[in-house]
Amino acid sequence: MPIVQFTPLSSLVQPDFWHALTSLKIDVLKLSDASVAIRAAYTAGRTIRDRETGQEVPLGCELVVSGEAFTEEFQPPANAVAASGVFKNYNTIEDFKAADKTVLFNQVADEIWTSVKTNHDPSALNRFLLIAYADLKKYKYYYWFAFPAFTAKPAWTIASEWKPAHEELSEDAMRALHDALVKAPRAYWLVRIRAGKTEVAGVEEYEKFFEGVDPASQYISFLDPSALPQNPGWPLRNLLAYLRCLHPSTTSSLRVLCWRDTDLPASGSTWKSRLGLIEQGISENREERPSAVGWEKNAQGRLGPRVADLAPMMDPTRLADQAV
Amino acid sequence: MHAIQQQFWSVREYLSPVLKESKFKEHGRITPEEFVAAGDFLTYKFPVWTWEKGDASKARDYLPADKQYLVTRGVPCLRRATSLVYTDADEEAERLLSFDDASGTGKEEDEWVETHAGRAPMAEGAANPGVIDDIPDADDEGTHGVSAGMQSLSLGGKAAEETPDLDEIPDMEEDDLEAGDEATAAPRSAPGVIDSSQVEVAKGNLLQVRTYDVMITYDKYYQTPRIWLLGYDENRTPLTPSQIFQDVSADHAFKTVTIEPFPHSASLQAASVHPCKHANVMKKVIERMNSTVVADQIAKTSGPLTPGAGKEKKKGWFGRRNTSGKETPLPQTPGEEDDVVEGMRVDFYLVVFLKFIASIVPTIEVDSTTAM
Repeated sequence: MPIVQFTPLSSLVQPDFWHALTSLKIDVLKLSDASVAIRAAYTAGRTIRDRETGQEVPLGCELVVSGEAFTEEFQPPANAVAASGVFKNYNTIEDFKAADKTVLFNQVADEIWTSVKTNHDPSALNRFLLIAYADLKKYKYYYWFAFPAFTAKPAWTIASEWKPAHEELSEDAMRALHDALVKAPRAYWLVRIRAGKTEVAGVEEYEKFFEGVDPASQYISFLDPSALPQNPGWPLRNLLAYLRCLHPSTTSSLRVLCWRDTDLPASGSTWKSRLGLIEQGISENREERPSAVGWEKNAQGRLGPRVADLAPMMDPTRLADQAV
Repeated sequence: MHAIQQQFWSVREYLSPVLKESKFKEHGRITPEEFVAAGDFLTYKFPVWTWEKGDASKARDYLPADKQYLVTRGVPCLRRATSLVYTDADEEAERLLSFDDASGTGKEEDEWVETHAGRAPMAEGAANPGVIDDIPDADDEGTHGVSAGMQSLSLGGKAAEETPDLDEIPDMEEDDLEAGDEATAAPRSAPGVIDSSQVEVAKGNLLQVRTYDVMITYDKYYQTPRIWLLGYDENRTPLTPSQIFQDVSADHAFKTVTIEPFPHSASLQAASVHPCKHANVMKKVIERMNSTVVADQIAKTSGPLTPGAGKEKKKGWFGRRNTSGKETPLPQTPGEEDDVVEGMRVDFYLVVFLKFIASIVPTIEVDSTTAM
């Protein structure tokens, strides 16, 4: 059976963020390189129809970091959910290079695992890590994101393919889900269909909510930033790890609903959410933290930092040059 | 020089009075209140657009504090405008729209190119000199400067210099940082992502999906909305100005589109379409639309009462009536006989404005209204 493959998150950093970082570095952090809390957001995956070929082109599976990332009262944009993270800014490029990335990564992964294991709290499942070095004089920002996700051993497999959710769920059920999620957007949730009624609950209510419900009417669901038809997005991995850890007896096979319909389908198109029945064989070890992966690859597809060169958009002399 | 100009513009905007009286049909300009009303309509009809409050210290007092400007993020842009190839067939599809039927003298300024779906048929650059008149232009070499600029856009040259120099990225790739993971989906191959070395030369069917954040502000001096663009390439790296110009139709790149400080942020710079001609163009578009809407409304009020007529679906919301103007529009009941023929409402201004902007940036899908 094919292994379920997840679309990795990729970071999209808005220029405002670098401006916010510049003032944070100069006015607040100064020479400190302590960790700072940071917030970001992601939305459901989108596709765009290419007007020349008629193809649906999937857009990226993005975590967006905006200029408000450092503010306490961060509000994710409409239809998006927030993710919190750890930000570490280094003073020199040497420090940035020399940073012990494995330690930093494991710290975040441990935090996620503690929240799962000890607190049974699903809100920390999408935590991320960002390390950076800001060359303020050259308007260059070196940065590297990590989105820790627990690996499953053995891997999850899918019996058939991911199929459109509306092939299995009724139109009414899809609408009920859409309405419930517009009212209260969340990253992860559970769905049950009982006596024709579609109900939604938080992941932490797993046992109570699914008690006495026909397994064929139980779904676990998440806001899916991926737009690829056969690949669910990265956030699903930690949700699976969470359920597997806390409810080992009932989760060896799960119906997963990848929710991608933050908007009602426009006329002429259909629902975009995907649905699949995935399975995992017996794994031996449930106590220790599974290993985690998730460093973002750079533009060359290698594990390495990215650079945002804002000189063309920030350097006064460069701006004067093009303004002829 | 540029800095002085910007200073001058900001002072000029500060000194110019706030437009009080609505005259959008007469000269295409709108008041801040109308901008807010049109923005409310846009955000209601197309929820991808949202109001932003921006930097509090930069807030304009003639606009509500929480409705300083409009923004939509992640607008896809599949192809470069410069890569749109023109064939004879395209030229036939191209159509100059004359709005002034009486004076059909072929005055180019009165004409507006209707963009073909997916394409941007453009008038010959030289045939449209009126557009650049008002723009302070320090380029003494005239067209030579522009063509040199265009050259640098296409193949290597200056553009290659401006892409982040990959050699400067610290050599710290750590491929052994994590072991291979079978459950990680492989990076998408074409058409999603292509090798960065090809970015500047790729054409045709290779898709380089860029995304744009598009902002609409209110320009107090020109009394029109103004559009701002922030772009990202397929690797989500911010675009340089010359890369942004690849998405601007050749008629407007280097002429009406420049990089300016974004008015609602302390430090952000963004590409902007200069609004000096917006009012004229908008006036013409509105005139044309208005006559259709008025005719439509007359036909509707005098015609027989057929509830749920088919026309209501397509054209109805151009001229839908609503007393307060700020409320979300309600479907007009077909039986409202005392309806005064009003023509196009100002709420619709920004929707029309986006259609006009779409002709300047043909490959950026700013005009979400075509989905209607």
